Amino acid sequence: MSALLTVWPAYLAEPAWGFVRVRMKPNPPEPSAEAAAAAERAHFDAELLRRMGRSDREAFAQLYDRFSRPLYAAALRILGNATEAEDIVQDVFLALWEKAAAFDAVRGSAFAWAVTLTRNRAIDRVRMRKRRLEILATATAEDAGVQPAESGSDSADDLVAKEQAGAIRSAVAALPAEQQRAVELAFFSGLTQQEIAEKLREPLGTVKARIRRGLLRLRDTLGGRHD
Amino acid sequence: MIDENHEELASLYVLGLLEGDELARFEQELAKSVPLQRLVHDLRETASQLAFTAPAAEPPPELRARLLDRLDTAATWRAQRNRVAFRTPLWLAWAAAASLAIVCAWVGQLYVGSRFEAATLRDQQAVADFQLRSARNQLEAERIIASHQLSSMTEQLAALDRQLKTEGDLAKFKISTLVSLAGNTPQALAVAVWNPAKQEGVLSVEKLPALAADKDYQLWLVDPQYPIPVDGGVFTVDPATGEAHITFKANKPIKNVAKFAVSLERKGGVPKAEGPMVLLSQ
Repeated sequence: MSALLTVWPAYLAEPAWGFVRVRMKPNPPEPSAEAAAAAERAHFDAELLRRMGRSDREAFAQLYDRFSRPLYAAALRILGNATEAEDIVQDVFLALWEKAAAFDAVRGSAFAWAVTLTRNRAIDRVRMRKRRLEILATATAEDAGVQPAESGSDSADDLVAKEQAGAIRSAVAALPAEQQRAVELAFFSGLTQQEIAEKLREPLGTVKARIRRGLLRLRDTLGGRHD
Repeated sequence: MIDENHEELASLYVLGLLEGDELARFEQELAKSVPLQRLVHDLRETASQLAFTAPAAEPPPELRARLLDRLDTAATWRAQRNRVAFRTPLWLAWAAAASLAIVCAWVGQLYVGSRFEAATLRDQQAVADFQLRSARNQLEAERIIASHQLSSMTEQLAALDRQLKTEGDLAKFKISTLVSLAGNTPQALAVAVWNPAKQEGVLSVEKLPALAADKDYQLWLVDPQYPIPVDGGVFTVDPATGEAHITFKANKPIKNVAKFAVSLERKGGVPKAEGPMVLLSQ
């Protein structure tokens, strides 16, 4: 349990309650079932990485099955190109395999690590191409030559991932539209702060505040900690 | 308690939006502040979940098998690296206490290890070379795309320029409708367009009466700089429909067309209007 607290203090410390209420209560109650399930997933992922650090191919295959869809979807969303997204995902999984032994759960979850690797690599490519606005404006999964995810043969992992994705999409959709737009641009576009402000035609300070409010609200909705 | 400014910096930090001095200052503060580290941890976890908001997409099925194949090579490298790293201290211990033969063996092991390292470096170099080639190819592709885009934009610019010129010219065009003045041709109608830049015009008429064999219609341009209308040439119409479409020029330089007129004249036209006026611009 202490290890879990180390890995997922956010989810075990507090439930997915509203911001104001948590701030008013110094002693957080028991975690919600959702947060506990997320903590369990993170713990399992961390264990898979530890096994990968010992060259366990089966662990790698399991981690691939759990992470590959969201990582590929994110890379494709950023790059707008199926071939490049595939390259990025391959690169990231090889990096995870090579660096698995160095994984430190205290610094973040395995999934957050994988997403960070994917996003950084994808954004580097986008910036190199200097075509970010075109991609954002025109790229869709269909015109990138990608088959949408199949729905007829879901494994248990797939179903959990879909449920998780649904909850996150709902949380994002519940944000005020301007916060949603700012957060999505910040995550997927590869634009700088200033470029985001220009694209949204808003003052830089306004955009920064929207990103802050949006992320904090998502954290609260998804079960994060409040300091 | 973390203030809003630091919440904002933490949010931007986890999204990779801090740069330069701002990033350096924040990382210094982050290293000293446990609450800030916890906030960054939470926000990073939250931000990573945004990956799920991308439209669902399936990586190619063959990618999984390809990755598993590549693991074999990577695992071999890793195992050999670990084995070399593990044995080296043992050999050093033996070397400190044992005979020349063991030293020789140790040297031999180092040689093997070095060869392995060299092989690894060669492989890494091959990978790096491949990446360099890929990057060059990509840059070349980017250059070609940029070149095409530049060419396309240049063409668009030229087209736009032409269009602007055309529109500019068009604004200077004199366009008039001419209506019948003769009682026997109440339905007759004409449109005349004069391009002052080219000193030429177009006339389109319809429902003008057919002409006798010894007659022509003659077009006139009324320019205030001249005391009498300027000859624009003669024309005939289709006897069945009364239509004609002609391009005309004036026989004198025209500065300003005040009106167009069409008269009925003898065959071949006259230098000064003599016959009845059939059409006059409004």
